[in-house]
Amino acid sequence: MLANRLLQFLLLYFLAIGGLLAMKYLLGLSDYVIPGVAAMATAFTEMAAIYLGDLLDSLRVALLGHALSLLLAAGVGILASRSTALGSLIRAAAYTVQTYPIVAVAPIIFILLGDGLASRLLITILVCYFPLLLTTISVLTEPVADIEHFFISTGRNRWSLQVAIRLYENMGKLITVVAGSATLAMVGTIVAEFVAADAGIGFSIRKALYQSDLAHILVALFLVGIWTSIYLGVLETAGALIEKKWRNPAGGG
Amino acid sequence: MATFWHSSVALLVALLGPFSLFSPSFATAADEQIAYRLKWLINASTAGDVVAEAEGLFAAEGLQVAILPGGPERDAIREVELGRAHFGVASADQVIRGLAKGAPIVVVAQLFQVNPLNWIYRPEQTTISSGDDLRGKVIGVTYGGNDETILRTLLQRHHIGEEEVQLFSVRHDYTPFYQKKVDLWPLYRNAQGVIIGEKLRAAGEAFAFFNPDQAGVRFVANSVITSAKLLAEKPELVQRFTTALRRGWQLAMAPEHAERTAELIHRFDRETPLPLIREQLALTRELVAHPSPADIGRIDLVAWQETEAIMLEQKQIDRPVDIATALHPLAE
Repeated sequence: MLANRLLQFLLLYFLAIGGLLAMKYLLGLSDYVIPGVAAMATAFTEMAAIYLGDLLDSLRVALLGHALSLLLAAGVGILASRSTALGSLIRAAAYTVQTYPIVAVAPIIFILLGDGLASRLLITILVCYFPLLLTTISVLTEPVADIEHFFISTGRNRWSLQVAIRLYENMGKLITVVAGSATLAMVGTIVAEFVAADAGIGFSIRKALYQSDLAHILVALFLVGIWTSIYLGVLETAGALIEKKWRNPAGGG
Repeated sequence: MATFWHSSVALLVALLGPFSLFSPSFATAADEQIAYRLKWLINASTAGDVVAEAEGLFAAEGLQVAILPGGPERDAIREVELGRAHFGVASADQVIRGLAKGAPIVVVAQLFQVNPLNWIYRPEQTTISSGDDLRGKVIGVTYGGNDETILRTLLQRHHIGEEEVQLFSVRHDYTPFYQKKVDLWPLYRNAQGVIIGEKLRAAGEAFAFFNPDQAGVRFVANSVITSAKLLAEKPELVQRFTTALRRGWQLAMAPEHAERTAELIHRFDRETPLPLIREQLALTRELVAHPSPADIGRIDLVAWQETEAIMLEQKQIDRPVDIATALHPLAE
């Protein structure tokens, strides 16, 4: 799975680079519009190590933000699923906040939390938390009629049992959303660094954009893509293992 | 391919004309259709462009011009090279960086004779009488922006090490400056300078501006560019555009036309109250019609050469571009 993800990314990345280069040479464009192979190679050798450091800085925030988002989404989702009124209110809040552009919310966040790690983290959580929350609420409020009917009819239905049944029956869906939200965590971190930070890969991309340096941007995108593919691959592999173990706890067939 | 793009632009201008920022009221069917990409949104810094269109000065030269607002993701040099715009506005550092990478562009007019980039500060908290006073201060800087290049040049010329100042990465909102976490904050004196100044005034706070130009760093700001190909193939078109634009700026900067210019800008810049636009225009006049209205559009070769020297010094470009060869002042 991991190797597949990496190969798929490399294929797509180099196809895109090939497309850009084809456009450059067909239209006779300067290195300012689209850098040539030599300029790209120079940018890679000059910037890869620097950007790798920036990427690691971003990863720290993305991983932490993703983990916190998962915990929050699970906690709030379970709470919301207990009460229809609370669930409805949380869903309404989730939809509303999701429509707000982060650049508009960012000044409020910076006033409240300052310019450090906390602001970057909160923006990351804001971007990747809501899809997770909505999925959790959706899973936990959707009855698994066939199984729950048995426990209801035998008078053994409890809330905790109901949560367990619904999580178990929707494990595949949850794993897909958790893995997918990993990319959102990375997007959130980069957005946060883009709007206000002095560190991280998003900040480096912003600097390169100011200088119209597409070669540097391509190096940064390469590293972000590699990391995202690795992280996705690891999550998917872990998800597949967990699902397998969950469905077959004895390990037998 | 460029012909294809130019045809596409003509089609775009024709289709979007009624929906674009400007519905040219003076244009005729025989007019040549031109796309003109600004560097930023419509505000006082684009006064001459707005006036040239609204007062029919482009039309008088047989041009139907679609003025396209710019923004952080818009790059006039790229659009001109791709043939998506005939003319554009770019800052000098963008132009020099573009030339260093082989972009086939030329400069046909210089909009600002004095760079509007300043740093705002509170005199009660910070004293700045020369570049030396930057030592020990918390200074806002847009990393990668031309203010970073200017600031680093200032520090270097005043023998101030980076460890002797604290650089603060600035963003779109001014909260850290309002919260007094930053001593000096970069802005355009004639645009944000007026708006932020008004807020500080309302809060009863005194403010002042540090102008790097007065500290000896001359760095050219916005200029009008076109492609070398268009200049070579249609010099009369470039001439007509430049003439209309220069007349637009002359009219926009004329004190007797100030009210009309402010109203025209206000149609597009609704967020800025009219009194502030008037103030912005007065300041823009000092930067554009400098030292006199006859200098509007003048290309200042010495300032361009100094800008190139600074960029070389700061390693923003890896080789000289001989900027004089890309400057094409067109006599009216």
